[in-house]
Amino acid sequence: MSMSLTTEPPNDGPTVTEENKMTTPEKKEKKPDEVAEEEEEEEEYVVEKVLNRRVVKGRVEYLLKWKGFSNEDNTWEPEDNLDCPDLIAEFLQSQKSAHEGKRKAEGEGDESKSKKKKDDTEKLRGFARGLDPERIIGATDSTGELMFLMKWKNSDEADLVPAKEANIKCPQVVISFYEERLTWHSYPTEDEKKDDKN
Amino acid sequence: MPTKNVTDERLGKFKNKGKDPAKLREKRISECVELRKAHKNESFMKRRNVTLSSLPDEDALSPDYSTDAVSVYSIEDIIKDVNDHNKEAQTRGCQAARKLLSQESNPPLKEIIDAGLLSRFVSFLGMNDEPTLQFEAAWALTNIASGTSWHTQQVVESGAVPAFISLLASPMLHISEQAVWALGNIAGDGSASRDILIECNVIPALLARISPDTPVGYLRNLTWTLSNLCRNKNPCPPLSAVLQMLPSLIQLLHLSDKDILSDACWAISYLSDGENERIDVVVKTGIVPRLVELMGHRELSVMTPALRSIGNIVSGSDQQTQAAIDAGVLNILPQVMRHPKASVQKEAAWALSNIAAGPCKQIQQLITCGLLPPLVEQLRNGDFKTQREAVWAVTNFTSGGTVEQVVSLVQSGALEAIINLLQVKDSKVILVILDAVNNVFMAAEKLGEMDKLSLLVEELGGLDRIEMLQNHDNEMIYRAAHNLIEKYFCGNEVEEVKVDSTEDAFEFRTADVPRTFEF
Repeated sequence: MSMSLTTEPPNDGPTVTEENKMTTPEKKEKKPDEVAEEEEEEEEYVVEKVLNRRVVKGRVEYLLKWKGFSNEDNTWEPEDNLDCPDLIAEFLQSQKSAHEGKRKAEGEGDESKSKKKKDDTEKLRGFARGLDPERIIGATDSTGELMFLMKWKNSDEADLVPAKEANIKCPQVVISFYEERLTWHSYPTEDEKKDDKN
Repeated sequence: MPTKNVTDERLGKFKNKGKDPAKLREKRISECVELRKAHKNESFMKRRNVTLSSLPDEDALSPDYSTDAVSVYSIEDIIKDVNDHNKEAQTRGCQAARKLLSQESNPPLKEIIDAGLLSRFVSFLGMNDEPTLQFEAAWALTNIASGTSWHTQQVVESGAVPAFISLLASPMLHISEQAVWALGNIAGDGSASRDILIECNVIPALLARISPDTPVGYLRNLTWTLSNLCRNKNPCPPLSAVLQMLPSLIQLLHLSDKDILSDACWAISYLSDGENERIDVVVKTGIVPRLVELMGHRELSVMTPALRSIGNIVSGSDQQTQAAIDAGVLNILPQVMRHPKASVQKEAAWALSNIAAGPCKQIQQLITCGLLPPLVEQLRNGDFKTQREAVWAVTNFTSGGTVEQVVSLVQSGALEAIINLLQVKDSKVILVILDAVNNVFMAAEKLGEMDKLSLLVEELGGLDRIEMLQNHDNEMIYRAAHNLIEKYFCGNEVEEVKVDSTEDAFEFRTADVPRTFEF
């Protein structure tokens, strides 16, 4: 039985295209109630959908649903006889699982903290504490840099601040500190002379 | 003589002149001791949560000076002081509250809230003439807002938000920084609080504080707060807010401080976690190359969010994925896939699986850039969560890849590796693997090599496993397994190989795999 394709334009609805047609199916057992086309030379049946696929004796076959026929009339047809690549492609695409395609991020992993408490242990020192200097009560350079021991207003905690910072931020306090500690050195020869005079 | 008296008086005012040398010496020694004590106590305070109780002043040496100033300060005292009209009392009370709220274990957040002090603290925030008070109140409120959602809500309800936003402009940097921190805690509570802040125009106020002179510590806090403003979904932050913040985030991403980089990358990861339109906004800034670079950063805290951001971007459209590929992600992904930390490997595999879900042109780039060997390593040796993602990568590859590409995949040893994973308990993974096997057969079919493949799968132990899966509890699994057996392993029927494809006859020889399966 020849399986040539007709090229007559379809008379059916918009879903039917040229490629979906086929002439008399090989395995069809009963004559359909409706004939899709009314061409007289050959009977044409229109594939509505490709439902399944199998390989038999090395040949690929597709299970077809025919337009205008019920599912009981579905038939397996060899691939070679078909000219409906769109429908076949559609079927193959549907066969690709929903697993493919992009997957968005799932849950939260180790993310950064949403809230942070400010502990005393990481407390600020010196001027960063935001207190007002009251007076300097000592000085040292044991850290390698000149530091003042600063007593702050409204606090009983004194701590060390760099002199460089204090000189800018509270110069008057620094000056008071130095003034309190000014010492005048007298020269021995002069005193001796005075004593002698006396 | 009068002059001598005046002189003596003046001399007496000097520290050293006219005083008994022994006494002077005593005094010098005691001062040195106090200096050393203060220095020692400073380093103690770093380790212990102890307040300095001795005052390194002359007065402190007298025995009747109280040394337990803070510890006897009860909440009642705090309430009394905070509610006082006197500013010194207020400051004292506020500071005492702050110290309690900063202690390491069980800070009394609820007690302070129940004492009704929050609105007082908020009112202190506005007292620009009293910076100490402002600072202590800001710190106290920060720590209350760091608690549970209820705690944070209490802070918001006491009217703190506008007050803190105003404080951002304070000329005192440490006070402004404290406000940044508090706002970060509020933003981190959730979408609702975040959006309240955004409505109150927090973003321009924050961004105004960024300048070349801003100290690193301040920028760290600011970046963290910005990241919380980008955080949370349902809903995501308003697009207008995102567009406002992005330019500054980009700037911050070009710095080198690791804490700033980490939080800036987290911000980008939040912004890219969502609809493709949101990913677009991020990609259009041109930041993708920098993100790829940061994927290779030596600090885990930076690399992790950079990797997450890129993972999010390649979960978007093909164009967005291409942007990542063009930025060089495929050059750096192999080493990330081999990272010693399992969670990093997993994220890398997930990113790879999304790239493999793209068009065959991108799959080709995967092959060219050598992503198959690390993928197979992950399948063989990875942690289960990593293996799960890697399996997705394989299936996506087999689904979107050309026949030649699928052959490359099989030759890399991936098929063998996934077959070995068929014994896992996770049903979803099994289904994904069976899918992949099916796809490989479909490719083999186009080459007319189904027999060869069936043989290979059998030799790899796949046939046995698939046969066993026909008895699986899960319906989808036994159906899928059965399908495979039926379609490709119908033992008796000899399937003739299609003859017309000699030129395209690729072989499924697994060259790199120790077992030799000749076709």
